[in-house]
Amino acid sequence: MKKIALFLVFWLFTAGRGLFPQERFRKTPPSPEPLQEFRLPAPETVPLSNGLKVSVVFRDSMPMMSLELILDAGEIRSPEKSPGLATFAANMFSRSTQFRSTEEIEELVESIGGSLTVTTSQDYVLLAFHFLDDYLDQALELISQMILQPNFSDREIASAKLALTYELLEKEKNPEFAAKRLLLRQLFKNHPYEKFAFFRDVIRTWNQKELAEFFDRFYRPNAAHLILIGNLSLKTATRKVSHYLNLWQPRDVPVLPLQAPKLPDRDKVCFIDVPQVRDCTIYLGTAFPASDTTDRFALAVLNQILGGTPNSRLFMALRESKGYAYFCFSETELFRMGGLFLVRARVTPEVVYPSVQEILKVAKAMARDPISSAEIEQAKSYLLGNFPIKIERYDSFAEHIAHSKAYNWGDEPWNKYYDQITLIGPEKISQAAQKYLLQPAIIIIAGDRNFLADRFGEFDSIEVYDNKGQYQYTVSKERSHE
Amino acid sequence: MSVQRRPLWILIASVVFLIFFSARVLAQKGFGFPITHYKLKNGLAVILSEDYSLPLVSVVVTYNVGSINEQPGKTGLAYLMENLMFSGSANVSQLQHINFINRVGGRLNAIASEDKTVFYQTVPSNQLALVLWLESDRMKFLEIIETNFEQARGALLDESRQRKIGEPYFESLFSFDQLLYSEFAYSHPLLGTEEDLRNLSLDDVKNFYATYYIPNNAVLCITGHFNKQKAKELVLRYFDTIARGKEVMSSSEPLVYTKRQIVKNVEDTLAQAPAFHLGFRIAPPHTNDFYTLVILDYILLRGHSSRITRRLLNRDNKIAYQLSGGIEKRGDRAVYKIFGVANNLLMVDRCQNAIFAELAKLKTSFISDVELAKFKNILKGDFLKRWATNLDKALFLSEEYFWLKNLDTVFLEVEKYLNVTPTDIVGIANRYFTPENSVILNVKTK
Repeated sequence: MKKIALFLVFWLFTAGRGLFPQERFRKTPPSPEPLQEFRLPAPETVPLSNGLKVSVVFRDSMPMMSLELILDAGEIRSPEKSPGLATFAANMFSRSTQFRSTEEIEELVESIGGSLTVTTSQDYVLLAFHFLDDYLDQALELISQMILQPNFSDREIASAKLALTYELLEKEKNPEFAAKRLLLRQLFKNHPYEKFAFFRDVIRTWNQKELAEFFDRFYRPNAAHLILIGNLSLKTATRKVSHYLNLWQPRDVPVLPLQAPKLPDRDKVCFIDVPQVRDCTIYLGTAFPASDTTDRFALAVLNQILGGTPNSRLFMALRESKGYAYFCFSETELFRMGGLFLVRARVTPEVVYPSVQEILKVAKAMARDPISSAEIEQAKSYLLGNFPIKIERYDSFAEHIAHSKAYNWGDEPWNKYYDQITLIGPEKISQAAQKYLLQPAIIIIAGDRNFLADRFGEFDSIEVYDNKGQYQYTVSKERSHE
Repeated sequence: MSVQRRPLWILIASVVFLIFFSARVLAQKGFGFPITHYKLKNGLAVILSEDYSLPLVSVVVTYNVGSINEQPGKTGLAYLMENLMFSGSANVSQLQHINFINRVGGRLNAIASEDKTVFYQTVPSNQLALVLWLESDRMKFLEIIETNFEQARGALLDESRQRKIGEPYFESLFSFDQLLYSEFAYSHPLLGTEEDLRNLSLDDVKNFYATYYIPNNAVLCITGHFNKQKAKELVLRYFDTIARGKEVMSSSEPLVYTKRQIVKNVEDTLAQAPAFHLGFRIAPPHTNDFYTLVILDYILLRGHSSRITRRLLNRDNKIAYQLSGGIEKRGDRAVYKIFGVANNLLMVDRCQNAIFAELAKLKTSFISDVELAKFKNILKGDFLKRWATNLDKALFLSEEYFWLKNLDTVFLEVEKYLNVTPTDIVGIANRYFTPENSVILNVKTK
């Protein structure tokens, strides 16, 4: 009897759970309500007497504050003979001051519940500082010390150079980093953006004098923008920022003329050696001029269809259908002087050649064949739904605003996003696909030469680079030459 | 530009003043956000927290099950089950759950740990019903069939093998757990053993699902932009008819502290440098001692300016080149773990001596108020980071619910950490961070 009862209980919890007739509403997914639009608070901006622009975005959802300082001192400002100097200056700027060591800065940042990072891009330097919102004064005082009392002592420079060397050494073990750096160098050859893709060998060439000159020339309030996001008014922000940064003196900072990247006239394949990596990383990209960045919403939809997610065409073709890749995605990056459309994938060495062919095939098919309206609507639905998720964290929201400000995309680019994406139709996407996906591309293959050298012969021609980015030789189907 | 150096005492005094002043202001401000929680008649705990800043909702379903619930010979079930939850249910085909969420621009994931299995997604707020439909379907009607089971088992075996052959120190983690946790439930690997995985049957998986994936062993948490009344109606619609399961009984034994130090050595063929694991058994989570132990964790290892970090990774005298650790919770057990990698065995020894020297300082001298205030501020910042997004909030609330059972006091928990005094720290350091309560596993290269 006991056994029968136990069996019944077990049956109810297992098979029985599925055998009861289910309610009708369970059989199909519920219909969604209309997608809610949303408007984020607009930044209020005011210039200070020294030319520093101060913006405030009110946000009181948590007692944290974000301070984003944009400096017009990106890699594009590095002297021609000293690529990487802008990155190094940014590292030095946030590392120590004349009266505070690195450890003391770390201590101060942590004591206000904060985190501080500095990143250098092609166009600008972004200092991102997040802290408990009672500590705005301490945060501004620290920024003021960094700007007004930089420490360019020989000892500090040597220490920072060593730190950067180790950082790059570590990054170079990552095939994604190695591939992207070579891709940027190839795409922006002889363009000011080439300096962004610098290698370790240039570190020893930087000296105290040029560092101080660079800082003196470009770290100026009239070439900077400070954004505060949190629970404060523009009036309070202006008063406090003026108090701490009024001694920061302006100086003429030249405006750089826009220069379009020179597009390659044919597909080019390069290999970069990343020892001890079993898989093979592929980066395939093309650049476009600044005037085309107005297409950015069409590009966003195009990218979504091609390779934005695991449901997109590239992933489905290379992973799900062919089984070549662990992943395959596409993405776009926009800069002041142009942009970048790239595809990245990780595959096994045996299928590197067919994988590249498949990527090109999928991309070109998208430019030539009509795209169904269902696919377009699906992509738009994803982008609209996903956008708030991308800016949900206070730090990513702050970064998004800083990015928009740095590229002068208007005061409320996020509020126009819904309208702009909704308006994109099949014609615009087809035009964008033809414009960007039919261009010759640079293809970078990164991996261990020991596993990949046998595959070089499958390509018509492939330039081989060592892990320091030095050109070694070219292998082509006809001949190989030094 | 000329800059005058200010006297140091002014700087110190101003930092001290501001830290104390601001700590009080923060305490007055009060941490927290609105919460409603209740239970359905089948025992499913429901937590709702509205936030209208963005049109998003996060839904988290947490089952109170992990590898600590596995029996000898049946390891790997918890992790396997997490994967099988994506293999389809009565009305949702295999992987369709992922597709539904991706199509609307949402994000999703799942985590199986030693004591919890969590499924979570963030979607545009108009898709709340979709997520509740998906989650209820797999809570009520998961389809566990042979092909999916074999596929999931194959993937798990493959992952286990890949990590064993590719991840240095991977195997030493399990050897260390076996030394640090005395009972089987807490010490066996989450991924299971290869032998156990091969021997698992479809019935084992079905039984595991029937025992633990039941509403009265789960918490459903919804955070974000939604109408509370409407959300309650949706929860009722999708979850109320799921049958209550048999109550899950906890069979945990009281914690036994070791009375002598354990030191062992292992060799790791993948390791390029020697390393060490150092651990202490500490008080269970949410006991009185635990709050002080958390503050001690901040003093020792959290952030660049923590004491062990400064001592071992000092720029001018670096003795370790990798350091990690902190409090680890597995059910009602907690341990303190430190893992370090150094250039050679001599440096490994120096690292351990330096750690014990730092612990000795904490046992014999009071931490200054300024230093303690700094670590409490880092803790506050970390607390806020746990509430940075709707998903973070939902994960936080779900985790706390299992400990507190009543969320009415959840935000008062912060105060318990902030009330820790220098005297508490000396007492707790002496109670738990003793050589006799320590376990050391040295990892040598081959």
